This record gives sequence, structure tokens and C-alpha cells, in this order.
Amino acid sequence: MSTSETEYLKGKASEEYKHGWYTDIESEKAPRGLSEDIVRYISKRKDEPEWLTEWRLKAYRYFKQLIDSGHYPDWAHLDYERPDFENMRYFAAPNGQAQYESLDDVPDEILETFERLGIPLEEQKALTGVAVDAVMDSVSVATTFKEKLREKGVIFKSFGEAAKDHPELVRQHLGSVVPYTDNLYAALNSAVFSDGSFVYVPEGVTCPMELSTYFRINEAGTGQFERTLIVTEPGAYVSYLEGCTAPMRKENQLHAAVVELVAHEDSEIKYSTIQNWYPGDEDGNGGIYNLVTKRGICKGDNSKISWTQLETGSAVTQKYPSVILAGDNSVGEFYSVAFTKGHQQADTGTKMQHIGKNTKSTIISKGISADVADNSYRGLVKVSANADGARNFSQCDSMLLGPDCGAHTYPYIESNNPTAQIEHEATTSKVGDDQMFYCHQRGLGEEEALKLIVNGFCQEVLQELPMEFAVEAKELLDIELEGSVG
Amino acid sequence: MSTTALDTSVRPEDRFISAFEVNHGEALNGTNASISKQRTDAIERFAELGIPTNNLEAWKYTDISSVIDRPYTLPLAPERPSLDTDDIAPFLIDDLDAHRVVLINGRVDEALSDIGDLPDGVVVSSLAQAGSTHPDVVEEHYGKYADFEDEALTALNTAFVQDGAFVYVPSGTVVEKPIFFLHLTATEQDLLLQPRHLFVAEDGAIARIVEAQHSLSDAQTFTNTVSESFIGEKANLEHYLIQDQGPSASQVHTRAAQQKDDSVYTTISATFTGEVVRNNVTIEADGSFCESNFYGLVVGKDDMHVDNHTFMGHVQPDCSSNELYKHVLNDESTGVFNGKVFVSRGSQRIDAYQQNDTLVLTKDAEIYTKPELEIYADDVVCSHGATTGQIDEESLFYLRSRGLSKRRARILMLQAFAQEVIDEIQLDSLEEHVAERVRTRFSSYFA
Repeated sequence: MSTSETEYLKGKASEEYKHGWYTDIESEKAPRGLSEDIVRYISKRKDEPEWLTEWRLKAYRYFKQLIDSGHYPDWAHLDYERPDFENMRYFAAPNGQAQYESLDDVPDEILETFERLGIPLEEQKALTGVAVDAVMDSVSVATTFKEKLREKGVIFKSFGEAAKDHPELVRQHLGSVVPYTDNLYAALNSAVFSDGSFVYVPEGVTCPMELSTYFRINEAGTGQFERTLIVTEPGAYVSYLEGCTAPMRKENQLHAAVVELVAHEDSEIKYSTIQNWYPGDEDGNGGIYNLVTKRGICKGDNSKISWTQLETGSAVTQKYPSVILAGDNSVGEFYSVAFTKGHQQADTGTKMQHIGKNTKSTIISKGISADVADNSYRGLVKVSANADGARNFSQCDSMLLGPDCGAHTYPYIESNNPTAQIEHEATTSKVGDDQMFYCHQRGLGEEEALKLIVNGFCQEVLQELPMEFAVEAKELLDIELEGSVG
Repeated sequence: MSTTALDTSVRPEDRFISAFEVNHGEALNGTNASISKQRTDAIERFAELGIPTNNLEAWKYTDISSVIDRPYTLPLAPERPSLDTDDIAPFLIDDLDAHRVVLINGRVDEALSDIGDLPDGVVVSSLAQAGSTHPDVVEEHYGKYADFEDEALTALNTAFVQDGAFVYVPSGTVVEKPIFFLHLTATEQDLLLQPRHLFVAEDGAIARIVEAQHSLSDAQTFTNTVSESFIGEKANLEHYLIQDQGPSASQVHTRAAQQKDDSVYTTISATFTGEVVRNNVTIEADGSFCESNFYGLVVGKDDMHVDNHTFMGHVQPDCSSNELYKHVLNDESTGVFNGKVFVSRGSQRIDAYQQNDTLVLTKDAEIYTKPELEIYADDVVCSHGATTGQIDEESLFYLRSRGLSKRRARILMLQAFAQEVIDEIQLDSLEEHVAERVRTRFSSYFA
């Protein structure tokens, strides 16, 4: 990259994280540390039925067993200090309230917080066509357009409410895709999870609007452990989006979510993520540890699950949104842009498990790395012996901006079926001098040219986002690039 | 013959450790000092590492511990089965005019070898002999490229090294004829062999080495080979390996090479038989403007298991590497490919290509592939690709429409698939030999 370009970008590097402010609101917090009592406390605060408390406790005991026997998932290409599980708060409710009956009860500070984040919670102000569940720390503060959704029979509410209102649905599906024995963080989440969203779309219904959950970590010394469960009955369709931000802090905060998707026959779930947690300062202090388990199952024939993610935030990201293709003719998709700069590290990718016949999966992953960041793609495509006619296409491209960053690819392909067709390709390169030259020659400056090229590099993924968010994603990427050092 | 029967009543690791303790200072001595001095460190490291299990990422898909955990005998002194030229005739390569060295159970057999005239200063001998005739070369290169820090089996080999092949091509020398090593296993016992080879091509040297592994016995054998190659500045070394030891032979074959500025190293393996075959290929391009090529062909049948594990280390700028591995898997055979391209910080202007293609022909054949990139420099062009599939129906249809039988059409398709690797063999006679063997194998698939 030319010197002037480097200079320019260096100048831009001082730009700060936009959502790094903190809302000063009184909050009720659980004492630090983790024990059976804390798990019971969380369950009690959420007014949960007995079976759920028991389930949490089972998960806690499994977690404890893993920790005591020294099990820690350290196989990823990540270098960070293990979170101190004993010195963390597992529950924080802004304003001391674990639940709000209506928007009128929500204090102004919280409403302003979300408004400042660009998420107005009053329906008349809200973006039409998008219903939002807003979660601050451990509590869902409001869910918009509930009434409108109810007309269609769509259930969209916080997990806590759902556990009370629809225990049979929650009980049937909770842990069915990601059991608490899946991994250490899934166990931790199952023990202490707080609000996330629950979505249920009944048979034959196409959800009339985009559903969205906005997660905000506000309190210091806490972690966020949301749990999201989406179920689509036969022939249903839903598009769901999550976004997230957190204040700037010197300490690392843990975000360990679990997302489970269940798609019955002929139904489709489209799950999009714009992840913009606080990434830490330029020396690598602070930032969120984003250690998340996301998995969907295409249970019925002809079902489809599509994951789209734009990962720009977090100090450490480790997540592999996966699809179990159990139904015949089911389809799994994974589109990802992971942008790491500064001291950020990401180890992300997907798992596509082909079990049903004539199943298809597509993986498009774009990794961009700048400064001293490390960005890894890690994925598995597995074709079982009975998955006749399975088809996979994977493409993982990495772009390096600067000589000190790293880009890595670790794809696993396991095929036990002669009729499977699997293709994988990956490339690693920098922004081409010829591309820059062409842009300059057409009159674009350094920055514009870089933005154009990077946006072009990510286009295949960004176009998968719902329209309203594609614009936001593009802007976010532009802002990220402004801060990147060439 | 002096042998040590491994004590199967204890843990496999302990069998080797006690065999080492018993024989160290006696049967294991008598070789070169630089070889001897690494033994103790190596056995200690082996004791720490233990035999790899499936829990190790590098051994995830190949279970070597159950292969090693068998009642083998460890030969410690040269075994001299009486063989004559008729015995080795079936394993010679037609029209390959070469400096021939025959190794029986890892030991050079001078009576069967036909080295012929070598250019001045070129040495082709046994490693044990080189230890006394060329101690300085051995000292400079032995144990420098095959690191046993993380490889238990390299440590094990280093602890028990006795003999193997040795090639030394001095600066600026061209060896016109290829150097052919015929490795034969001839035994009635279940043997565990650990040959060790050292190939040194100094600055500007040019040489071609052909290795072929065969067996005269049906006994269960495990061969743990380590070969080290050094390719000096502007040197060019071609290194071919034919693996065909039969269905009762398993092996771990480690090839470690280091290249200096402007050098070219090409290594090609073709695997025809073996119960479990694991190839560890490591190339370090420790100089600028190096070209590194590795190619591999696996033609699987029955229940053979072949694992090609490669590492391309780019630690200097301005280099290029090409990697192509092809598997054809029939019956219940299993193919594993793990390739890693590593580009260190500051190694700019690297072009690295890696490709693994597999044809799975039956329901019981399996492929596990993992092509990795680990890149810490930005001005690079690195790519990898992997495909897994079957014979293309449309191409088959086309060939049949041109009058070929289904069988002929399939064989032709497979040949075309394999040819991309075979084409890389620069020696005509060897290329024809491999192509013919591959064709015969493919014909047997659809008999």
C-alpha cells in the first residue's frame, strides 16, 4: 500500500468506537461468582417454573464438572486470558426490574439508551416492518409490534415471558439443538442464561415483518448470556436479525449466548447478525469476549436455514453457526464477513452436517484482517453415509490490510458417501495495486477506493442481509475501514 | 541376528523405552558421534510425547497407536537374508538407467546394489558408512531438518537410528543418472524397522532420487522412516517415492526438506498398497526465490488407509510453492489429506497453491480432507482448493457415445484424473512405470 494511503489511514485510526458510552442507571445485580444458589437466584428472579430451574442446575453441575476437571476449549487460533468465572456477575437488571409489563413502565433512561443506539422502542417512531425485542444486560425491556404479530399467530417475546406463557413449546425445544453438554460455554449459558428472544411461527405463516433483537451490555463486571430459540412450523417463514453493542471498558466482558433454530418441513429461517460489540482499545485492553454457540436443525424435508453474519466487533470472537441438514432436500447456508483490526481476534466459521438425502449447503466466508489482528475461518462439511446426493460449495476468501495481521483457513471435509459433491476453495491476498490504480484513475481517492474494493469483496455476503440492515452493514464496514491502518 | 522382541505386556511407549535402555551403549553404538548424541534427547522426548492418538489434531483421522501396539521384533544388527538378483528383478523399473542401491530391511546390501560410476565427489552409500567416511557432512545436516520436538515418531526413529541411505552431491555437481533406492522388506518375523536417510545437495548441485518400497514377505511390518534433505543455493533436487509394501505393511514416512536461496525441490509420492500409510512431508523454504513442489497420488483399494500430511513453511520472501494431491478411493479404502501452508510475518511476495482432489468410488470409501492456510504477511497470493466427488456422469455419457464400453470409459476417466500428478514426474521411464501401474489398478476396479 502506498505511503500516503498508510498515512491517511493512520490518521483515521484514532477514531473511536461509536457506541462506547454508558447509561448511568441503577441496577440490581447478583453477587459475584457462580454457584447453585446464584443459578437458583436467577431462576427465581425470572419467576421460572420448576423444571427450568432443575434444567439450569443440571447444566451448572455439568459446567462445574468440566471446570473442575480442567476442561477448557483452547483449540482455536485465539490467544486470550480465560475469563474468571468466579469474579463475574451473572445477572444484572437495569432499574432493579426483571420484567416490564408495558412500554410505559420502562424508565426514560433506558428508552433514551436505545433511541441513541438508533432503536426507538415507541412503535410510531420505529422502523415500520421491523419488530424489535430490546435486551439490556439480563433483561428484555420491551418488545414492539407484539399485537400485530399476534394477529398472525406469531409469537415473539423475551425468553423469560415465553417460558411462562408457552412452557410446552419452550420445554420441547430448549436444548434440543444445543444440549447443555455441547461445550463449556453452552453449559454455562444453560445454567445462567437470561433474556433472549423466543420466536414461534405457526404452520403456513409467513412472518409479516422482520424480527429483531437488540442486545446491549451496560453494567460493568457482568456478562451477557442470552438464549434465543426460533421454531418454524411446516411451511412457515421468518427472518430474524440481531444486533449488539457495549460500553468501552478496560476490563474484558463475556458474552456467551446460545441460539437454537428448529425448522420443520417446508419452512425457512433466515438469521442475520450484525455484531458490533466493543472491540477493546488500540492497545488491546478491554473488549468483549464473544464466545457463542449457534446451531440450527433442518428437521423437516425441504426446510432451509440461512445464517448471515457481519462480525466487526468484540476483542475475541469464537462462533460457528451451524446447520444439521436432517430432512431430505434441506438447505443450509452460511454467509459471513468477519472484519478484525487492532488487537481483535476471530475464529469463526460453520459446520454443515449432511444427513438427509439431496441436501445442499453453501458457505461463503470473507475475512478481512488489519493492524495486528488475527482472523481465522474454521469449518466442517460432513457427509454421512446415507446422505445420498449431498452437495456443498464453500468459498473462503481472506484479505490482508497491512503486513502485521494474520489470516488463516482451517476447513475440514469429511465425506463417507460416494455421491457427495464437495467443493472448497480459499484464497488469501491483499488489495491489488492494479485495483487501486484503476480506482485512482477513475478519480477516487485512497479512502473511497479502499471502501469500494472492500465492499465489493464482501458484496456476496452483504446482499444476503435484509434490505434495511444491508445499508447499516455497509456503513458499519465503511466506519471500520476508516479506522484501519493500511 | 541380534533382535529385541518388544515386551507386549507393558504400555507400547514403555516397550521402546526399555528396549532403548537395554541396547543403548551396545547394539546402538558404533555409528557416528553426531548420530549417537541425539539418541538420549530423542528417547526422552518420545517418552514425554507418547505415541500419537486420535486426540491429537495432527492424528485425528489416522489411528497409528493400534498399529504400533503389536508384537513386533526390533532388529538391532544387520539381518542378511540370502537374496539374489532374481528376487529383486520384479521390483526394478524398466528402462530406468540409474545408480542402484538395494536396501534390505533398512540396510544397504552391497551385493545387490549396482552403484556404477559417479561424478567426482558424489557419494551414494549407507548412512552408517557415511558416518565414518563423511562425518563433517553428517554432522552438518543430520537431525537438523526432521524436528522431533513435536513428532513422537521422529523422536523414536532418532533414538534407534542405525542405518539408511546417504547421498551427497557436492557444490556445482550434476548427477546425470537418477539415484535409485530399492527398499525391500524380507522377513519371516513381524518387524518394526526404522530406516533413516540423509540426502544433501550442496549449492548448485542437481540430482534426482527415486525411492521404491516393496516387500517380499507377508509378515506384519511397521516401518518408521525419516528422511532429511538439504537443497543448497541454486540446487535442484527431485525426490520420488513409490509406496507398495503390500497389505500387511504399515508405515509412517517422514520427509523433511530445507531449501536455500534460488533452489528447487520437488517431491512426488505414489501410494499403491499398505495397511496404514502416513506420509509427513515438511518443506521449509529457508531462502529467497525458492520453488517448492509436492505432489501425491493415492490409488486406494481394499481397506488401505493413506494419510498425506504436509507442511509448507514459507519463512523467507519471494518464494513459490505448488501442492497437488489426488486420491482415488475404491472398496473400503480411506484417504486423509491435511495440508498446511504457513507464511511467516515478513515473508512477502509468496505465491502458494494447494489443491486436493478426491474421487470416491464406493459407499464404504471415506475421505477426510483439511487444507489449511496460516498467513501472517499481506503481499501474498495463497489459495487452496479441495474437491470430493465421483466420476462425472456427463463425461461418461460422452465417452460412451463415442463408442467406449462403460468399463473402458471409467478407466479412461480415472486415468485422466490421475494423470495430472503423473505428468509432474520428470523421468520418462518412471512416469511410464507409474502410469502403467495406475492403469492396471484402475482396470482391476471394474473387473
